Amino acid sequence: MAEKFHTELKALKKETVAMALFGRTMLRDAVDALVRQDTSLAATVVAKKEQIHIMEVKLEENCYQLIALNQPMAKDMRVIACTLKVITASMRIGRYGKVIANIVKEISDKPHIANLMSIPHMAELVIDMIDDAVKAYETDSIALIADFSARDDTIDALRHSIFREGVTYMLEDPKNISRCTHYIMVARYLERCADHACKIAENVHYMNTGERIEIH
Amino acid sequence: MSETSIISTSNLNLWYHEKHALQSVSIRIPKNKVTALIGPSGCGKSTLLRCFNRLNDLIDHVKITGKITLDNEDIHGPDTDVVSLRKKVGMVFQKPNPFPKSIWENVAYGPKVHGVKDKAELDRIVEQSLKHAAIWDEVKDRLNDSALSLSGGQQQRLCIARTLAVEPEVILMDEPCSALDPIATSKIENLIEMLKEEYTVIIVTHNMQQAARVSDYTGFMYLGKLIECGRTVQIFEHPAEELTENYITGRFG
Repeated sequence: MAEKFHTELKALKKETVAMALFGRTMLRDAVDALVRQDTSLAATVVAKKEQIHIMEVKLEENCYQLIALNQPMAKDMRVIACTLKVITASMRIGRYGKVIANIVKEISDKPHIANLMSIPHMAELVIDMIDDAVKAYETDSIALIADFSARDDTIDALRHSIFREGVTYMLEDPKNISRCTHYIMVARYLERCADHACKIAENVHYMNTGERIEIH
Repeated sequence: MSETSIISTSNLNLWYHEKHALQSVSIRIPKNKVTALIGPSGCGKSTLLRCFNRLNDLIDHVKITGKITLDNEDIHGPDTDVVSLRKKVGMVFQKPNPFPKSIWENVAYGPKVHGVKDKAELDRIVEQSLKHAAIWDEVKDRLNDSALSLSGGQQQRLCIARTLAVEPEVILMDEPCSALDPIATSKIENLIEMLKEEYTVIIVTHNMQQAARVSDYTGFMYLGKLIECGRTVQIFEHPAEELTENYITGRFG
């Protein structure tokens, strides 16, 4: 019976990685659509929201069933606890992708101000963090998340910088207010995505060591 | 373990003939807590349990080295009276084993052996013990019925009442629920929770979920050795030893 359970646990992890990559791709495509002002790509991201929700419900159900039927302990229990967090974080990341994709429709009529400031660079760093967190979850390698605290600090600094820069453009010309507000919001969403990557990292650390850490 | 310990062993070894059944076991059992001993069959957990009230003395060709103390006194010391040791350290077995007598007689038997003769006092002890064992309401109107007329779960609680009647300090339970259905098991588990207010309970169980549910501390044994002992939450959430991890996640055993 334990063998059957461990096989199911492995399958759960594999499907959760697939969901995490699905959410990550929603964010990636949304940022690309924003940079290229590609409204049709943005529309494909928005259309994926139902699919990621279905994945979330199915995987959560899977976790609850494994708990109910096997009463997992020690690392098995920690894997499921971590998986539930990864599912939630992936859902949120995908949803932020959808929110950014909705913004693309609003601001694709005119060229970007200052080439979107540091948003493209910030997005690269955030997506790298998501990739590393998911890889760490998949491969049990906590070395990949060792520097997350410093990386999260960089993301916070970039968000603050985009906020300051956006306010400057707004003060220069009130016509920029709407567009720059959207930029500031996108930076905020990207920062939240980095926070979700940190949450995954904290849980991967717990899954592997049994110790709780806080990344901030 | 920061709690006061009631029983401790140091470097305890036990041999059945040539078989080295307990190997350098050092453990401290905290007072007024429930300690569970888990491990695969033949790992020595019941043998260790039986050391605490010297029940292994009754088996031929057993050799024991090392030290076991109860309330800081060596239980193998020359001053130790085995009868009074077993009064202090009661035991409940895997299969309920009531005497083929009335319910009242079963519980009153121990106090009578230890010299209580007054009927009113015996009545008081019987009632109190049955209440502590959470079976009083079910048997109070049929105390003179045969104990063998009770269900398996009731018989086991009667055996616990019989143990409590001589006012022990420690109660040893060797797989107390393995012959019981889930409802009777749940009653015994609730009872264990209540008992630790006044007694120290040491339980041997094959059921890891039961160990996790009822105990404050858990010791994992393997091939005669105590591999790890710690707070139950720690053992079941993140055990320190890989062997423990592998056992409780069903990778062997």
